[in-house]
Amino acid sequence: MKYPPALSRLSFSWYSENAVATVIFAVLALLPAFLSGYVIYIVPQYLLYGVLAMSLALLWGVAGILSFGQAAFFALGAYAMGLAPHWTSSVDPFYLALLVSLLIGAVLAGVVGYFLFSAGVRDVYFVLVTLALSIMTEQITVSQSDITGGYNGMFIPRAQLSFGGVSLDLSADVPMYYTILPIVIGIYVLLRLVVASRFGKVLVGIRENEDRVLSLGFRTSLYKTAAFALSGAVAGLAGALYGTHASFVSPSLAGVLFSTQVVVWVAIGGRESLLGALLGAVGVAALSNYLTAITPEYWQLVVGIVFVIVIMAFRGGVAGALIRLGSRPPMEPERG
Amino acid sequence: MQTALSVLVDSMLITFVFALAALGLAIIFGLMGVINMGHGAMLTLGAYFTWFATTKGVPFVAAVLLAAAGVGLIGLLLEHFIIRHFYDRPFETLLLTWGFFLISTELIKIAFGTDLRTVTNPLPGAAHFGSFVLPAYQSVVALISLALIVGLGVMLYRTGLGIKIRALVQNAEVASLLGLNVARAYKLVFVAGSAAAGLAGALISPMLSVDPYIGNIFLVRSFFVVIVGGIGQVLGGTLVGSFLIGGSETFFALFSGQVVAQTIVFMLAILVLRFRPAGVLRAQ
Repeated sequence: MKYPPALSRLSFSWYSENAVATVIFAVLALLPAFLSGYVIYIVPQYLLYGVLAMSLALLWGVAGILSFGQAAFFALGAYAMGLAPHWTSSVDPFYLALLVSLLIGAVLAGVVGYFLFSAGVRDVYFVLVTLALSIMTEQITVSQSDITGGYNGMFIPRAQLSFGGVSLDLSADVPMYYTILPIVIGIYVLLRLVVASRFGKVLVGIRENEDRVLSLGFRTSLYKTAAFALSGAVAGLAGALYGTHASFVSPSLAGVLFSTQVVVWVAIGGRESLLGALLGAVGVAALSNYLTAITPEYWQLVVGIVFVIVIMAFRGGVAGALIRLGSRPPMEPERG
Repeated sequence: MQTALSVLVDSMLITFVFALAALGLAIIFGLMGVINMGHGAMLTLGAYFTWFATTKGVPFVAAVLLAAAGVGLIGLLLEHFIIRHFYDRPFETLLLTWGFFLISTELIKIAFGTDLRTVTNPLPGAAHFGSFVLPAYQSVVALISLALIVGLGVMLYRTGLGIKIRALVQNAEVASLLGLNVARAYKLVFVAGSAAAGLAGALISPMLSVDPYIGNIFLVRSFFVVIVGGIGQVLGGTLVGSFLIGGSETFFALFSGQVVAQTIVFMLAILVLRFRPAGVLRAQ
């Protein structure tokens, strides 16, 4: 059977993406054996940025829906982690916070998504509403200072986990590392399965031509709502883990600048590849952290210029460019 | 009664400031449909150019005009080298204009620093009517804002150039077949919108402290002003949209904090977007 060019390119990239992902995750799993100190402390934070980036890649790269509000869910997740100890004395607040962050992300995104998508609000209007969502979240967290600590933010104690007789102290860097890494890998695998599923294929169809998918009998608004809800849940969960890792959350985590930073990571990494988005976030965040110490102004300027160049000339970001490089022959028939 | 009157006056002043801030966007987004996420950056640039010129001893009025011209020139460069290649791709223009915001914000930080800057109010006086106060500068800015909107309306509906631009808005393809130079018309509109944004930033600068993110306060509000008023309705839409957004913000701020008021207004704007996507002025 002869596949159309787009599909054969897809299968090629999947095959190689699996190999690259396996190698990267294996290296990450072995990292604490060779390195210690700051690297082991900071890598989980980059990985959680990467999860946030994947939540956007699912939405933007797969379904073609751009959101400027992913940071809102991330920040709400982090606040849930900070507030959970006040809610419960019987259940371990860490698990409760993870659950709540998932639910907040899913429900908020689901409600906003259904409200807009069912009326046919799409494209740039959706971007504006999600941008407003992140501004509103930032302002509400500033104004409710009795609960959230306002501008000054809120300190979050790192969790002490216990299952059975074994207890795990997450205030040390290595246990934290090995708690977050499997979750990140799990989310990556889960999202890959979602993209490969029938649901994921409908989302790709919506990205390519929503009206056609609609006329084939799919209620596209429900599919888009589900994609946004899943994306919100993933972003919320990442935020909760970020909260306990950073031990701190402040309103700027929901703000416009952080929200659009995610868009920059995903665009540079490659919006159509989950791994590209993950590595884009890790790479840009790590470089930012490193270079901001040396040359803060010029580094941000370079990020802006790279972003513009990527949007103008390299639609698929770094991952897209690599895939194109690796699969030149299957690309050729597309001209026909 | 006195309170009601002073709320009304405050609302009117805020309305005109919002309308002024949104005018550049009403031109670029409302007429051309180009999502200019760099609108906030253009306001910021206008404010910084004014601050810079006035500290160098340039009189305020000249500084404002220079700022508008400077931002118009930046708009021309942006349009010529980047935006004009992406008119048929709204997502790309959205992201590229956001890239413009990122770059220009960093350049502002490098050139002018990150400290708060203040532009001296050129008309510090105020007229007192009983218990409420009418600040002189804000009132002049409101009049300028009204004059600009009316002037733009006259230009669009009473001149040959206006007819051409409206033809472009209605159907660019047919307009081009009838001999209109579409590329040049788009360029003209984009530059006009940029200059209007620069002018707005310049005029607003004495009312606020200027920092590199000052324009962002107005970015989403301006979009909502244009959407609520109705896209393409430069004359009435901008005024009605500003009145609904600015007026309701002033109104809700009476009962709750400023922040809560803005959140409510954003939610109302989202409701309008959902239920009346063509704006409040236009029939379904």
